[in-house]
Amino acid sequence: MSVFALSACGKSDDAGKGGAKASETNATDNGSAQTADPAADISGTITFLTNRTDMIDKEYVDYAKRFKEKYPNADVKFEAVKDLDKDTKIRISTGDFPDVVLVPTLPASDLPKYFAPLDDLGLNDQIYFQDYKSYEGKVYGISAGATTTGIVYNKKAFADAGIASVPKTLDEFYAAAEKLKAKGIVPLASNFKDQWPLYPWASELPTSIAGNANLNNERVNTDTPYTMDGPYGQALSIVRTMFEKGYLEPDVNSTNWEQSKKDVASGKFAMYFLGNWVIPQVISSGTTSDNIGFFPMPYDNSGKSNVVLAPDWGYGVNKDSKHLATAKAFVKWMLEDSGFDKFAGFIPVLKDRSSDMPQLSEFESFSPTKIEAVADTPEATDITNKAQITKEAVVQEFVLIKDPQSILDKYNGKWAKAKKAVIK
Amino acid sequence: MSYKMQRKLVLVSFLTVPVLLLLLFTYYPAVRLLYYSFTDWDGMNHSPSWLGFDNYAEIFSNPDLFGVFVHQIPYVIVGIAQNIVALLFAVILNSKMRGRNVFRVILFLPFIMNAVAVAFMFQYVFDTTTGSLNALLGLLGLDAWQQSWLGNTSIVNYSLASIGFWRFMGYNMVIYLGALQSIPADIYEAAKLDGAGRMRTLWHMTLPNMTKIIQLNMFLTLSGAIAVFDLPFVLTHGGPAGASETFVLKTVETAFQFNNFGLASAMSVVLLVLTIVVLGLQNVVLKRKEG
Repeated sequence: MSVFALSACGKSDDAGKGGAKASETNATDNGSAQTADPAADISGTITFLTNRTDMIDKEYVDYAKRFKEKYPNADVKFEAVKDLDKDTKIRISTGDFPDVVLVPTLPASDLPKYFAPLDDLGLNDQIYFQDYKSYEGKVYGISAGATTTGIVYNKKAFADAGIASVPKTLDEFYAAAEKLKAKGIVPLASNFKDQWPLYPWASELPTSIAGNANLNNERVNTDTPYTMDGPYGQALSIVRTMFEKGYLEPDVNSTNWEQSKKDVASGKFAMYFLGNWVIPQVISSGTTSDNIGFFPMPYDNSGKSNVVLAPDWGYGVNKDSKHLATAKAFVKWMLEDSGFDKFAGFIPVLKDRSSDMPQLSEFESFSPTKIEAVADTPEATDITNKAQITKEAVVQEFVLIKDPQSILDKYNGKWAKAKKAVIK
Repeated sequence: MSYKMQRKLVLVSFLTVPVLLLLLFTYYPAVRLLYYSFTDWDGMNHSPSWLGFDNYAEIFSNPDLFGVFVHQIPYVIVGIAQNIVALLFAVILNSKMRGRNVFRVILFLPFIMNAVAVAFMFQYVFDTTTGSLNALLGLLGLDAWQQSWLGNTSIVNYSLASIGFWRFMGYNMVIYLGALQSIPADIYEAAKLDGAGRMRTLWHMTLPNMTKIIQLNMFLTLSGAIAVFDLPFVLTHGGPAGASETFVLKTVETAFQFNNFGLASAMSVVLLVLTIVVLGLQNVVLKRKEG
């Protein structure tokens, strides 16, 4: 076992030494692979815990095959869970979790306790979100891909309603919604009842309006982060206006997420305000790729928008993995060779690559200013948890209540109280 | 070995495994829960700090946490109605009538179905635009009664509670049936000879003989109303805007979303104590009636 640990140091200059020691692995026989080839050093069976239940027994079989082609002595197994964040945290708390996982929401200071640094993969300056899952200068998680948030729309629905061109200002946006409503098409599918699809109104849009990636974290500097004329109030007012003018679903308290994808695909509903991750799902719900477009949400009348580039879940390697080198090699392979980001509709996290998804090209044609998202600071997370604020619930309450200022006051009060308790 | 020794040996050896399992999976976690309720454990930390009674103080002083019990009152009201209807059905289906077994089965069937599947199914019943309830009302010409069953804050809890009614009425009924059948038939004959009508028989003879069973069913109903979680979790996520939140829903949210396992443990302990208090109250009230 200790011989294992030596060969699993991971540095490529140890490969020569590691080649001879590779014989202790149980995966394959190494009699023929006694070369100084680093690929032979990558051995053993590792497990990857993923949230993509839909890829098990399908795309992942192909990934396993291709990974084995590159590293003949290694095997990778895929295990999927439905509730990624909670399930991964539970597994980590037992002290025994798979070799490669998607790093759950943890305080940054806990990262070195469970994960191995990934700086030796050599990707550090080539990726977005280098600091996202890092602590004290070391990178513990590399995002699988980037998403950006904007309006996903059904082109035929727009054409039927007589909308000639994509709205670039807020007034044009409301006008387009009015045309859709007149045609009997639901302008925007908010999926209000399920609560989670409202997240862009609560964080991505305010950050874009403020033009400041640190907006959510800077809440710790004040007792009244939620103001009507501030970025949060502005973003919430837009969705509230849409609700009041009837541009959302007929009964927002009775929406159905799965059904909404079919309705956007068929043109019964026209738009989503979500990330580009939803585009492949809409297409596979019953329409073609050239019928779905994507443009930045115009939140004011200036004609220019900011958009937030956010990281999706990040790959992390279990610090106590028995096959550390293999696990790290797998992470590198997933980022560079697997093509997963293309499959999932992500923007590649490697800066020198661009996505060839047509909707993203359309999005880029509006030249939005990209704001790279930053991680939540521990203080912001602690205060939010102590105050028990669910950001999507703030959106729901703000939209439904008669006096929206009272909701802002209520949450400011909760924030101030929790801030006092946490920051001593 | 003496007979006494053998008996002891057999008893102990048969009890060891079940008792061990009980201690390991029920009592040990309960003790740990009690310990965590006095700390600020976040689910992963190996050395949480001691908070004393702070978590409990927070529960009683935070209206968001304790105030949600108000939303559970409709479940109690509907639960009482459920028991009354179950009793009536039990009495009716205990008498000689044709097809009573068919009716018993139909009424009991909802109880066998999985809770979450039932909740998903009712989503399609209560849906405002395409749901079957609003469609039925439209068909019957009752258009004015069509509304957002799960979106109207004043009735959402009653809508959810009615799902519980559908599920558990049959269960209550079966228990009442069993109790009814254990009442000796000759006292009914005597009452009939004396000229007692159906209502008098029901009120003065059937019910007094069933107090223990009614107590049991009421306890099950009340403790179910205090701990209700699956229906709001699946159907409304506690919405609209928190109108259907329940105490257990908030406990789960506190633990898994806000990473505050210490507070959530304290909430669980409070729930347990509350259930014991309710049971105690019920016993006192019903004993007075009996005496």
